[in-house]
Amino acid sequence: MRPWSVISAIAVLASGQMESQGISNLQSLISNAQAGETILVPAGEYDGNIIIDKKLILIGLGSPVIRGTGVGSVITVKVDSCVVRGFVVERSGKMLVDEDAGILVKSDYNVIEDNVLQDVLFGVYLFGADNNRVRRNDIRGRKELELGERGSGIHLWNSYDNILDGNDIADVRDGFYIQNASRTHIERNNVRGVRYGLHYMYADSNVFLLNSFTDNVAGAAVMYSRGIRIRNNAFLRNRGFASYGILFQDCHDMIVDSNVVADNNIGLFFEASRNNVFQHNIIARNDAALQMFQNSNGNVFTENNFIDNLSPLLVVGKKTETRWNRNDRGNYWSSYDGYDIDQDGVGDVPMKIQNLFQYLEGKAPHLRLYLYSPASQAFAVAANAFPVMNINTEVDRMPLVKPVDLSKLGILTLLAPSRGNHQKTNDSVPLFAALPGLGIFVIGYLVMKRRSRQ
Amino acid sequence: MTFSPVFHIARQELTVNVRNKWTLIFAVIFGILVTGIAYFGMIAEGFSGMQNFARSSASVLNLVLYIIPLVSLAMGTLSFTGDKGSAELLFSQPVLSSEVIMGKALGLFASIALSMASGFMVAGIMIISKSGPQGLTSYLAFTVLSLGLAFVFLSLSILVATLARRKSKAFGFALFLWFFFVLFYDILAIGITLLLSGSTMNLFLFLSLFGNPVDVVRVASLIIFDTATIFGPAGAALLRFLGGSAMSVTLLVCALLLWAILPMALAVKIMRRQDF
Repeated sequence: MRPWSVISAIAVLASGQMESQGISNLQSLISNAQAGETILVPAGEYDGNIIIDKKLILIGLGSPVIRGTGVGSVITVKVDSCVVRGFVVERSGKMLVDEDAGILVKSDYNVIEDNVLQDVLFGVYLFGADNNRVRRNDIRGRKELELGERGSGIHLWNSYDNILDGNDIADVRDGFYIQNASRTHIERNNVRGVRYGLHYMYADSNVFLLNSFTDNVAGAAVMYSRGIRIRNNAFLRNRGFASYGILFQDCHDMIVDSNVVADNNIGLFFEASRNNVFQHNIIARNDAALQMFQNSNGNVFTENNFIDNLSPLLVVGKKTETRWNRNDRGNYWSSYDGYDIDQDGVGDVPMKIQNLFQYLEGKAPHLRLYLYSPASQAFAVAANAFPVMNINTEVDRMPLVKPVDLSKLGILTLLAPSRGNHQKTNDSVPLFAALPGLGIFVIGYLVMKRRSRQ
Repeated sequence: MTFSPVFHIARQELTVNVRNKWTLIFAVIFGILVTGIAYFGMIAEGFSGMQNFARSSASVLNLVLYIIPLVSLAMGTLSFTGDKGSAELLFSQPVLSSEVIMGKALGLFASIALSMASGFMVAGIMIISKSGPQGLTSYLAFTVLSLGLAFVFLSLSILVATLARRKSKAFGFALFLWFFFVLFYDILAIGITLLLSGSTMNLFLFLSLFGNPVDVVRVASLIIFDTATIFGPAGAALLRFLGGSAMSVTLLVCALLLWAILPMALAVKIMRRQDF
């Protein structure tokens, strides 16, 4: 980099020439710059759209705003090794098919960091772009649009070896949309309030670390991929009629360990996904911890904590060939009621994961409407007392009697911003709750009093 | 038919019930159970800020579904078959038999409602002080639904008492009804569902919910708690079938009203025939 060019650029902007014109023209500055130059852009408002067609380092000082025309992408990066740092990027186009993004990257080895993207269709779009780094960007989609009409937060198509880290994404359709993008590293991102936190297909050998996917329609939908590593992520409060913590469709040879999957409609969902290993995860307080189609075979669950899920397992079809333990270590199930006489930490009675009602649910899913009914509980008790029907094809033969110590994962639930309505109790509120009871008491008392007077 | 004798009889019924301690016993038992469930549900709470209220209420719901029908049936049957002398005295007065029935039903309902409301109140204070007031309106709605359930089974007990006349027979009937609605009906419905297939199955399953007041209250409560999502796709299908959650609750409440009115109307009719 030539230092004099940096200084000249600062000089141009600091002289106030461009500021005096009101909204400045950044594009002409880019056309006048030499390749390899660093342009420092002071705070202010600049007209888009910008096309970066030579190797440049663009640094915003004091969050300058780049406002697009409302057609196409606000910033398009066309050559390798550029940096876009510290801008507020807004008003992209409206066409999903034209990849109208805040920042559209079509080249390799770029760094997109510390930007705020708002009022954009897509946030950052990597279009056939490899080896880029997208980090610490705040991406807010168009909340006023229907979910289906919005774009993704960070969209990867046919792009390899990228690193996406520290981004904060909300109000878009899918947090990450990743298609044909192998060897992507995704770390420390927060995604909330979107459709799929992660929408993912045909992308192998990727790594997910320390991300949080909360309050989405579905946490993550991982499809048609193999060799993925998912570690230390939090999938929380993804609720809806068909919401999942993570959905796996045609996924093989993954290692999923040390994640927290809590308070989702369905914790983990499997269809045609084989030979994956799940270890040291906390799967807690989901309506159903696991849902598996019978074509999902050879998955291994070992040393996970299954805590307070309404149903531990729903099997669609007859049975799966899941291995519920490895190296003589099964999982901890909070509903396990066996004993451990030889004190080796492994229960002496196998854990039957499904009860009769849950088994029947697999055959007729709509029976779930009878959840919480006394009959459904009676079914469970009856099947235990009189094991006439052999429904227990899903058995953990090495259930752990104590939860695996995964207390270090508790911190993961803090990755996500809290829902915020968990405030302190207002003292007058319990009184309000007492009103109907109190009312009836008073009426009863008055009636009695009048009665005794008569 | 005028209303003043109805209220007189209702007031007398309430007094009798408060004095004979049944109301108090029920109130204490109910209060202890509901509070206990709410409390232990709270202790088991692992993660904070997650579904506290709905889950606690769902546990209370379980209790409501067992206990309230039983108590309503027992108290109703007891009142309508007990003490021949006072009943004869009452019917010899210049009031209609329908007025007597309605009056007694109202008085009974008031005493049951009194004890239930106190139980709900204690549990409500407990849950809300722990997990915040965001579920308050649905809790109130749930209370109302439970009261509705009590009225339905009161109404059924009146029918049973009118049909059976003898106390022991009436109690036998009442117990059978409780067993039927709390347990047997659902098992039957689940069994038949598994025999059917496809859209017939779903249609049968959805409609079968209306045939049992216990199911009506259970499903309506879960929709009100906004936890219909725990039904998964089945819940979505049900809501679509009934036309949205507001519409579903309306329909379910209407069904509950029918369940409350029909048995009593039938009892009145039968009693008229017995008179002449």
